[in-house]
Amino acid sequence: MDEHRRRNQIFSIIAVACLFLFLLSMHFYADDYQIRILNNIALFIILAVSYNLINGVTGQFSLEPNAFVAIGAYTSALLTLTPAEKQMAFIIEPIIWPLSVIHVPFFVSLIAAGVVTAFFGFLMGFPVFRVRGDYLAIVTLGFGEVVRVVANNTQTITNGPLGLKGLANYTNIWWSWGIAAFTVFYIARLVRSSYGMAMKAVKYDEAAAESIGINAFKHKMLAFTTSAFFEGIGGGLLAHLITTISPTLFTFFLTFNLLIMIVAGGLGSITGSVIAAVVITWGGEALRVVEEPINLGFVTIPGIPGMRMVLFSLILVLVMIFARQGLMGTREFNWNGLFRKIRAWTHRTAKES
Amino acid sequence: MEFFTVRNLTMKFGGLVAVNDFDITLKKGEIVGLIGPNGAGKTTVFNMIAGYYAPTSGTIHFQGKLLNGKKANEITRSGVARTFQNIRLFTELTVVENVMIAYHCRLRSSFLGAALRLPLYRREEKQMYEGAMEFLREVELEDLSREQAGSLPYGMQRRLEIARALATGPQLLLLDEPAAGMNPNETQDLLHLILRLREKYRLTVFLIEHDMKFVMQLCERIQVLDYGTTIASGTPEEIQQNERVIEAYLGEG
Repeated sequence: MDEHRRRNQIFSIIAVACLFLFLLSMHFYADDYQIRILNNIALFIILAVSYNLINGVTGQFSLEPNAFVAIGAYTSALLTLTPAEKQMAFIIEPIIWPLSVIHVPFFVSLIAAGVVTAFFGFLMGFPVFRVRGDYLAIVTLGFGEVVRVVANNTQTITNGPLGLKGLANYTNIWWSWGIAAFTVFYIARLVRSSYGMAMKAVKYDEAAAESIGINAFKHKMLAFTTSAFFEGIGGGLLAHLITTISPTLFTFFLTFNLLIMIVAGGLGSITGSVIAAVVITWGGEALRVVEEPINLGFVTIPGIPGMRMVLFSLILVLVMIFARQGLMGTREFNWNGLFRKIRAWTHRTAKES
Repeated sequence: MEFFTVRNLTMKFGGLVAVNDFDITLKKGEIVGLIGPNGAGKTTVFNMIAGYYAPTSGTIHFQGKLLNGKKANEITRSGVARTFQNIRLFTELTVVENVMIAYHCRLRSSFLGAALRLPLYRREEKQMYEGAMEFLREVELEDLSREQAGSLPYGMQRRLEIARALATGPQLLLLDEPAAGMNPNETQDLLHLILRLREKYRLTVFLIEHDMKFVMQLCERIQVLDYGTTIASGTPEEIQQNERVIEAYLGEG
């Protein structure tokens, strides 16, 4: 079973080292725009992989990540702003105690964002998992809206529609990629453990899972709360990346983007989510050209803002028609599989020549 | 203390009485059959015992504990495992994974401990794998442990489902039509398998089956349901002679 374990470990270390070197070189040579894209990619890896845990692995189609990201972003932001900054920002009504005096380092605020969001996820899970399927999707969608509306109206906590401005730009590629790496590592381990297998069992057949003693509700809650934890941390990173947050940032649109990623990557595949997060985030930037005026020589197409979303929607439609399983289905990357493929390929080319 | 008793179990779906005043007592180590024409309410009885339906009235006691009102997973963990009439394996997982999952409910490792692969979890994972292989050997599927469960032929899927139920560590095993869709040879093998498993794991077996030859050979006692009501119970010989049973199966002559 584990004859190649040692080799695989070495390759994993090499892969991580390569990522590190790549980031290091970007740190020194990349311009602000490229750094921004790198941060976005890491952020979407965190969000997509943790969203996939509940939607793909546990098979509970839910639409709440924008709520979780919002809770995480606000928690983290309110904790890193200094009391003086908070006093300045809350001009309509003052911020409530004790939020008005708390001030913690960035890392602590991220952990707090994760914990607070996980707690909200936990509370939300009780009513939400009383229903399944389409109903679950609608209930969670509703929660996403509730959180946004609450953020808009709790002036003394979130500063309402004014949002929070002037957050410190703490999120750099080391924070974002470090946390992305940990998220992928932790969730991959979790999915491979027997808890992950139990979550898959709940996805494939809830009645059968119950028949072998798996508490379906408990495992949905575990997946949901874990997902919330990482979404919350992602929210904290997001807040300190764009440095300004307001309720309008956390609309269903965010959830929709993540949904495209996990569906295109393959529901239930962490590898797929990572690849999709990279390709779609980077692709989204590359596709900016379609929103600019295009001069084909004989005809000039005017720039159409929003054209990228049309293309993304088109991609989703095509994925649903031709590759319902997404890029990876439920498969995962592993070194053994890669080496088998390489061997098979070298074999074939050797024969042909 | 009785091993397993059911008293006055009744299930009504709206105006339809699916099961009416069902009584049964099982002694430890027995193999008891539940037979009856289609739609007699046999599977409904199983679904109530296993916690899938909440009975309209009546009680189910297992080793002195009341099972009514408990959830299916709690009932399984208290020692009552079941298989399904229409096989419900995790078809996309491998054969060995199907059995390993059934160990999950007995795991002592915490959620974090499992994800971080702490030493306790690693030990338990090894036990899960070895235990699962042991059960696969028992049902003669160990050579196919890495196949996808859904790719197995029907008879093997039935055996795999039994192995999966066994891996939860039951004392009472409920088998819903274990021989359905099997050819005579497979049915004979299954009969010996059930007898062997009973000895080895000190099981009590309660089963629903339509294959009369199989039921008569295997069961020590049989209870017959018709339109939700028990019309006869006794040894296989008594059941074969019983007028009402013959009538229920063949209609009035």
